[in-house]
This record gives sequence, C-alpha cells and structure tokens, in this order.
Amino acid sequence: MLKFILKRLLISIPILIGVTVIIFFLLNVVPGDPVALMMKEHISVDVVARVRAQMHLDDPAIVRYFRFLAGALRGDLGESYKLNRPVTSLILNAFPNTFVLALWAALFAWVVGIPAGILSAVKKYSLPDNLFMGFSLLGVSMPVFWSALLFQYVFAVKLRWLPVAGFEDWRYVIMPAIVLGWSSAGIIARLTRSSLLEVMRNDYIRTARAKGLHELPVIFGHALKNSLLPVVTVMAIQVAGLLAGAVITESVFGIPGVGRIAVNAIQARDMPLLQGAVLFETTLVILGNLAADILYAFLDPRIKAA
Amino acid sequence: MGMNDPKEQDLTLACCAAGTCEEEESIAPPSSFLKDVVIAYRRNRLAMVGAAIVLILFLMAVFAPWLTPYDPYAIDLEVMTEAPSWSHWLGTDQFGRDLLTRILYGTRISLVIGIVPTLLSMIIGTTLGLIGGYYGGKTDMVIMRLCDIVLAFPSLLLAMVVMYTLGATLVNIFIALAAVGWAGTARVVRSQVLSLKEKEFVEAARAVGVKNRVIMVRHILPNCLPALIVLFTLGIPGAILSEASLSFLGVGAQPPTPSWGLIVTSGKEFLFSAPWVAIAPGLFILVTVLAFNFMGDGFRDALDPYMKQ
Amino acid sequence: MRKSRLFVVLSLSFLLAGILAAGAFAAEKVFTIAYNEEPQTSDMQMTTSCYMIPMNVYDRLIECVTTAPGKSALVPGLATKWEVSKDGKVYTFYLRKGVKFHNGEELTAQDVVYTFDRMLDPKTKALNTDILDFVLGAKDRMEGKAASTAGLKALDRYTVRITLEKPFVPFLAIMASPQASILNEKFTRPLGNKYGLTAQATCGTGPFILKEWVLNDHHTMVANPNYFRGRPQIDKFVVKIVTDPETMRMLFESGEIDLFDCDFAMSQIPYFTSHPKWGKQTVSGPRVGIYYYTFNQAIKPFDNVKVRKAFQMAVDRKLILQKMFYNHGQLENGVMPRGLIHYNPNQEKIEYNPEKAKKLLAEAGYPNGVDMEIALVASTGSQWQKMSEIVQAMVAKAGFRVTLKQMDEAAFYATRKEGKLPMYTNKWSADFNDPDNFFYTFFGPKGTVARSYNNISPEVFAALEKGRSETDFAKRGKLYADLEKKIVIDQAAWLPMFSLKHIYVVQPRVKKFVVPWNGWSDFPIYETRVE
Repeated sequence: MLKFILKRLLISIPILIGVTVIIFFLLNVVPGDPVALMMKEHISVDVVARVRAQMHLDDPAIVRYFRFLAGALRGDLGESYKLNRPVTSLILNAFPNTFVLALWAALFAWVVGIPAGILSAVKKYSLPDNLFMGFSLLGVSMPVFWSALLFQYVFAVKLRWLPVAGFEDWRYVIMPAIVLGWSSAGIIARLTRSSLLEVMRNDYIRTARAKGLHELPVIFGHALKNSLLPVVTVMAIQVAGLLAGAVITESVFGIPGVGRIAVNAIQARDMPLLQGAVLFETTLVILGNLAADILYAFLDPRIKAA
Repeated sequence: MGMNDPKEQDLTLACCAAGTCEEEESIAPPSSFLKDVVIAYRRNRLAMVGAAIVLILFLMAVFAPWLTPYDPYAIDLEVMTEAPSWSHWLGTDQFGRDLLTRILYGTRISLVIGIVPTLLSMIIGTTLGLIGGYYGGKTDMVIMRLCDIVLAFPSLLLAMVVMYTLGATLVNIFIALAAVGWAGTARVVRSQVLSLKEKEFVEAARAVGVKNRVIMVRHILPNCLPALIVLFTLGIPGAILSEASLSFLGVGAQPPTPSWGLIVTSGKEFLFSAPWVAIAPGLFILVTVLAFNFMGDGFRDALDPYMKQ
Repeated sequence: MRKSRLFVVLSLSFLLAGILAAGAFAAEKVFTIAYNEEPQTSDMQMTTSCYMIPMNVYDRLIECVTTAPGKSALVPGLATKWEVSKDGKVYTFYLRKGVKFHNGEELTAQDVVYTFDRMLDPKTKALNTDILDFVLGAKDRMEGKAASTAGLKALDRYTVRITLEKPFVPFLAIMASPQASILNEKFTRPLGNKYGLTAQATCGTGPFILKEWVLNDHHTMVANPNYFRGRPQIDKFVVKIVTDPETMRMLFESGEIDLFDCDFAMSQIPYFTSHPKWGKQTVSGPRVGIYYYTFNQAIKPFDNVKVRKAFQMAVDRKLILQKMFYNHGQLENGVMPRGLIHYNPNQEKIEYNPEKAKKLLAEAGYPNGVDMEIALVASTGSQWQKMSEIVQAMVAKAGFRVTLKQMDEAAFYATRKEGKLPMYTNKWSADFNDPDNFFYTFFGPKGTVARSYNNISPEVFAALEKGRSETDFAKRGKLYADLEKKIVIDQAAWLPMFSLKHIYVVQPRVKKFVVPWNGWSDFPIYETRVE
C-alpha cells in the first residue's frame, strides 16, 4: 500500500511540471501584455516599456520559465504581476473560502444524494423514485450560472430570505452550496441508485434472500456496503473537483475563492498567479484521485480478501 | 456544472476503467446486436421521449428559415425587449430581434457545439486509447501521462486559456472543448483495450499474421462500441453546458451568433424587466440536455449486457 | 416593591437599554457601495483606474469641486495659495499649517517633495509618471541618472517650489487629480514596495482612514475625526467588491448597498427612472467626457479621408442616443465635451446622411461598399458591444460591411498599443479640467499610435505643444477650437458620439449624494449625507 502511494506521488511530479509548462507556453503565445493591461485607458508607451524592463518581462521565455521553476521548487511562487503580493499568500488566503463552499456543497450532495439514490433503488419506478431522479437529472442538466441567477432572484430579491452575494457568515453559503452541489447530488443519486440496483441483482443477494433474510437487513447489510464502493470513490473525486472548479459559482455569488483568482489571473495575463492557482488546483485533483484509488483498494472486498 | 465533476459517462464506465468487470468473449458483436439494442432501448419510455425531442430539435435546426418569417440578425430598435405577443411568440431581445427566431437558429449552433467537439474528442481519445493500450510500453506511458495532465488540469481554465490563445471563433470552441475532453475517452478505451488484447481471438489473429492496425480496428474497436456510444450521447450535453459556461465568461460564442448560452448571458441584464430573454433559451438548454441525458441513459441500459457480464 | 411594579420597572429599563443600544447603532452612519473591481492597492501612483480609496483617504494640493452641474472650480486643498511665475515655469505652493496625517505627523513641504520624487523614482515602478513628465529633471530621475528631481524643492517647512522644463498650463489642474495625492514621507519610505497593499500600510491626510481590507471581498474606511476641514458626517464607508453587475443590482434592490451606479446596467435606466420607489431616488450629473469611435489610418480603407468622412455621416448618433441611452445625454461634435474649459459651443456639427456617405465612398474608390472591422472587448452586457452591433447594422446602408472582432481585454490593449487595432469605441472622462487631457491623449505623437489612430500630423503635434504653453486664456481657447475643427472635420481623425449623464440610484436613507464634477465612477464622499 505504501509503495503504491509513493509511486503515485512520484508520478504526480512530472504531471505538475507538465501543467506548468502548458500554462507557460499558452500564456506566452496568448496575445496580451500585463502591464499595458494594468494601465488600460491611461496607457503611456514609455511607462509600459520602463515597467516591463523592471519586471524582467522581456527576458527570453526559457530564462523566465526556469527562474519560475527554481523558485517554485523552493516553495516561492513569486509575486502576482497585478496584485504585487506573494502568490502563495494570495492563494492560501483565498483557499479557506473555496474550501468552505466546496465542503458544504459536497455535504449537500452526499446528504441529499445518497439517501435519494437508496430510496429510488428500493422503490424502483415509484413516485419518489421518479421525483428524485427528476431532481437529479435537473441538477446535471442546468447551466450553473442560470440556476445561480434564479436562486438569487427568488430567494434573495423577491423573498428576501437570504443575502444576495458575499461571504460574511453562514447564511451566505446556503445558496452557493446548493447551486454548486446540486449537480454533484444528482450524479451521486443516480450512481447510488444504479449501483444498488446492480448489486441487488447479484446472485449472493438472491441467495441471502432465498435463505429467508428480511428485506431491510438484506439491503442495508449486504447490498449497501458493496454498492457504495463506486460511490465513495466518486465522492473523493468530486470533492477535489468542487475545490478546483467552483469558478462560476464564486463569480456570481461574490465569493473570494481560488476559482475567481484563477479567472482573474487569466484575464490579467498574470502568469505567476495563474501558475500558482492552477498548480494548487491540480494538486487537489491529483490528491483527490489518489484518495479515491486508496479508498477503492481499501474497500474492495476482493482486494481485501486477497 | 462543475467541469471537474466526474462526467456521467466516466462514472458509468468507472468500473470498466478500474478493470473490475469481466469482458464478454467475442470475436465481434453478433449481427443481431443492433436489433437487440434497439428493442431494449425502445422499452425505455424516457429514452424514447429523449429521442423524440432530439429529433424535433434536429428538425427545428434544419428547417429554421422556414419556421419563422424573421431574420435572427435583423436589429429593430423600435421593438426592443418587448413581451411575448402574437407577433413575437417569445418576445424580443434587447436589439428588437425576435427571440423565438434566435432560439430556432440557435438550435443549429447548440447541436453543432454539442456534437462536433464531442465527436472530435472521441476520435482523438479513441485513437490514443487504442494505440496506448495496444502497443503498451513507452507509447502507453507517454499517452497516459498526457491524459493525466489534461485530466488533472482544471478544465474550465484550460478551455479559457485555449480560447484566449486561439481567439473566440466557433471552430476554436470545438478545438478547446475537444482538447479538454479527449482524455476521459482515452482512459476508458485504453482500459477496454487492455482487457481485450489478451483474449484468445486477438492472439489467434496475431498468430495468423493479421496486421496490428487491422486487429485494432476490425477486432478490438467494435467491442468498445457500446462504451463509445454511451460516452458520445452523454458527452453531448456536457459540451453544450461547457459552451454556455464559456459564454458566461466571455470566451464562448461571440455576438451576434444566436448561441443559446450567449443569449442567456446577454439576457442576464434584463432579468427583472424582460426575463424571457434569459429564461427561454435557458429552458431550451435544459430540455436539450435532458433529452440527450435520457438517450444516454437509454443506451447505457440497453447496452448494459454488452459492456459487462 | 410589589412584584408587578418590579416587573414594570425591569421591563422598562430593558426597553430603555434596548433603545439606547439601538440608538447607538443607529447613530453610526454607514454608507455602503459596491465596486466592480478589486483596486488591489491604495497607492495612487501604482494604479491608473481605481481611485475610490485615494479620493477619500488622501488630499491634494489643489482640489477640483463641483460648483454647479457640469461646472467646476479649482480650490485650495493642502495648499492655501499658489503663485505661478511670469514665464509659467515656476510654481510655488504655500501649504496649510497644522494638517495631520493619519499617523499624527504634520504635513510639511518635504512630504510633497518626497511624494512627487517617489513617483519619478524608477524603483517605485509607478504607472502615473506622466503627470510629472515636464518637471525639471524628471527624465533623468526616471532613467536613473539622478538620485533626486532637480525641479522639486522645499523652500521651507511649508513652502514647495516646483520648476518645470517648459511652461505647462494644465499643471494646476493636474495637481487636483487623484494621481497627485500627497503621502507622508516618514510613513511611506520604510515600507518600500509594500506601501498601499494593506490598510495598515496606508496613510494620508484625507477625511477617511482605511481601516479594514479583505482582498477581493470588501474594504472599509472610517471617519477621520481630525480632518482639517472637519469630521465627515459619515462614520463608516464600506466598499464591497462585486464583479457581477446583476448581483450588484440585486444587492441594491434588497437594500444591502446604498448606491447603484447605472453605468453597470444602462439598459435598466428606464426601469429605475419609471419605478414608483426608485424613480425619486435617482441622482445624476453630467459627465465631462466623450464617447467616440476611432479610425485607424494604418488600416485600409481608413487611410482615405473620404472614407472616414463617409463613416462619420453613416452613423445615426441621435437614434443611438435615443434608443440606447434614453436621451440622457447630448451629441458631441468635437474633441472637447461640454463642461470642459474652452469648450466650443459653435463647433461644426457632423451630419447624418447615409446617401452622401455612399457617394463619398464611391468617390473614394469603393462604389460597391467596403469591408471593415470593429474590435470589441469580450464582456457581454457591455454597452460597447451593443452600440457596435447597432452601428454595424446602421452603416451597412452606406456600404460599410462590418465584421465584429472580439478579443479579450489583454489582447485588445496589447494590439492597440502597437497601433494595429481596427476601429473601436470607448469613452474618456476628464482626469483634470483642461483640453490638453483630451487632445494630447488621443492626438499627441505617442498617443496617436498607442491608441491606434495613426493620425500622423506634424501640424497637430505642433499645435498641441503650443497649447500646452500658451498662457493667454483667449488665445488658448481659439487655438483649441481651431485644432478641434482640423482634427474632426478636416482630417476626420475620429467620430465623436455624445456625452452622457452619469446616473446613480440611491436608497432613501441617502439624503445627499454629490456626483463628482467630471461624472467619474470614483468619488469623494465627504459631502455625502445619510440618515
């Protein structure tokens, strides 16, 4: 097990380096000058030239890349071009916000999705099943910014139950968490349902039933344990995905998280900040996948027995 | 939709990717494959509804010019943001253009945006997955690392940067979405190939001297078809939603293209005074995505016996 | 005491306490707004666009105040009086005595000298050096050839002398712009590049003190009780960062912010002005600014003046003003908008005549019309896009076949800097009340390329230089009026559109809100009153 984890972590390093190379290459090819952009309408070509020289932006690409890489290996991701602050602190300050949002979204997804999936599987083709599956499908099919806007309009403007945007206390998390978590809830519900149905069809369950065991213990004792295996691995991946990708939700609800930072960095051609944000998110996704694989190996009865 | 959420198609085939299901022994799918699948599919009511909706959408797209007297690009400043009426069934947008017309023409764009990038990423993904899985060794390692990199990358950001680099045109959207989507397909195809290539029928073909390329295309690929069909049908709604997200961020389709995602985004401003501009195309997106999801579910259920024992 | 009486007394005292507490809270006057971009620094030398903090936390030697809608005047700020030498090169400022910075230090002439020298110091990497370009020794200082600026001198504790290389008439007006705010040397110097990045690293003389700053979320300013003009009425000024205009609007409608800038939802202006509640709550002021379309003479077909004049006649500006902006503005036909010093109300008007335009195009060698591009920054919901789409349809009648070219902001500015950007539209509001701020910016030798006009005209350049140093008021006015005609009518170097009112909507509790003289989106709230 330990060897497995180490090997995976080792493989992650070339992946991370590959990611930085891609970003570096793309941002160099993309037209756009961060300094000219900072000056916008008040452009002065002299100032732009002078500031660019001071920021070493005109050095050859390879030199700049290795300078960045050397710094990154030391743990120094440099300073944001636009915000003039160390990238590491910017991301570490924004991360807790993304984390809180992702956590609540994930909790919503699991607390709503799993029971919904179980109920749907048990009461297949009944009204609750159709309702839950309908809810799940809706979650998976709606554009996030559309549902975000509708939520804001209904609950914040018309009903005045919740605040519109911002991130001050627990009330601010409710709508974004639901909007963000709805599609994850849908995926979990559908997966739980199909996985449970799958397992219930299996022979050993039929055997257990034939042995005369009651419906309820049968389900919860045997089927659930095994059907949750793929669900749990997906949950681990989902958390990583939520942490890394809540860009639109953060944008509409005004949450100062890592997703917003990344989008702003792209728009401002802020290379150091973008590298930092993407490296951060990529690491999360890699860790999430790793956790999923470990969980899977850990829980899979076949591997356990072996 | 969180773009880094494991996509539906990846999940349904998660067990296949992990290699824990047993593959069916076969040389090629039986000739009654098509018939059996269709019969199984037709039993699923939702799937038939989905197929019907998709058919209607295709008809809308093809016959749009005949279905409406208006020009989707003609600006008329006298009738800006008018409520739905007999002359404008869904009202007008902020430029006085008939909304229903824009949505009808937008069907073309949405269908194309749904299908082309998905097709592209499937072609790329399948090719790379086949090659990597079959030849193994260094090739496989390189392809897998590339897959890992693309999959680990926050996909929305990658699509954004690609769009900024290439410029915001429809073709570039195809490229950007395909560049982000191929890796999932590649992974799945590769795992299928891995479990198939040790089977007897492949060994036999090799022994007889059949060329590798032929083996891959004639023998292995058809066995991947069920998975590919599901991936494709479930990938289309993903692409449509991704383009809508890109439009929201300003790097998707550009005005005055009547892309649904773009209409919703530009109608955001009028949510209070003219909500139909943002709501109607959003509903169309929803219905289209639902329809393809129904179809995908239908295919998955119908192809279930062919994907695992 | 009997039980019931005890009960009554207790409940009354609780009630009283509650009222007092509520009263204490209610007494705190908070003014909350939303801003669509994180200003990222409070250092006005390092930002070219976000001046909300500098306008409230700092002061300048001279201030420009609104005296009547569209009218402004330069009044004493940190300087009580000033003298200009006869040759127009030497400015002497006499500072107000006893003004305290937020850290308790008194304002001295050395602070002023330090502030401006800091701007020119290459180590600062300041972006707003152009306000001090013409100070004696500025170039050497910026290039690192000198350790201080020759033209900046503190004559004594309260007197500053600034010497220019050449006479520059707009200099006083520039001293009133936010870029020229004054810093405290003792506080700022040790902070180096870290100045302005946090609330603790910000110090000025202004009516508000920057108290709290959560990046990308909000920042808070509190009243400065020792402000030299008197403590502001508002106790707390909260700025929330909200990038999404619809969210901003929802925040306003639900009462969470006190002011909504209609620039973010211009199409909603009729909604607000005709609303039963909001209709009475709109505040507006003219913008000393101009909306325009550019011509890039380095890209065909706009190298031909006939084509440019044809395009000028092919746009129905009045219709756009009416349909898109609900007539909340006026057409402009020159370079100087209304409200600007030396504005010429008799400038020659541009007519709308698509047939004539078509004929001109044919004369220019394009009888079958011509293809052209308009560049747009890709941000949906923006007025530029809408206007250009309308223009696209309009000019088609005269034979201009327009393709809209979308780019993101960074690509847009990079291409424009090279002088290669096709036609685009934008607006420019006066930074300071002087024609030079308009003419030189667009049609000066560097600006004409860096803004993709490529109107290379030595006569224009010469006239611009002359305008900068012409001290006779009447002569200067005539110079700019003539120059305006030359640029807009003879050379047709751009297409002026209109100047628009800046409309705000405020909550009923906002009793007074003054729109800044130039209609800017950044404003001082010293004069604002809330309930």
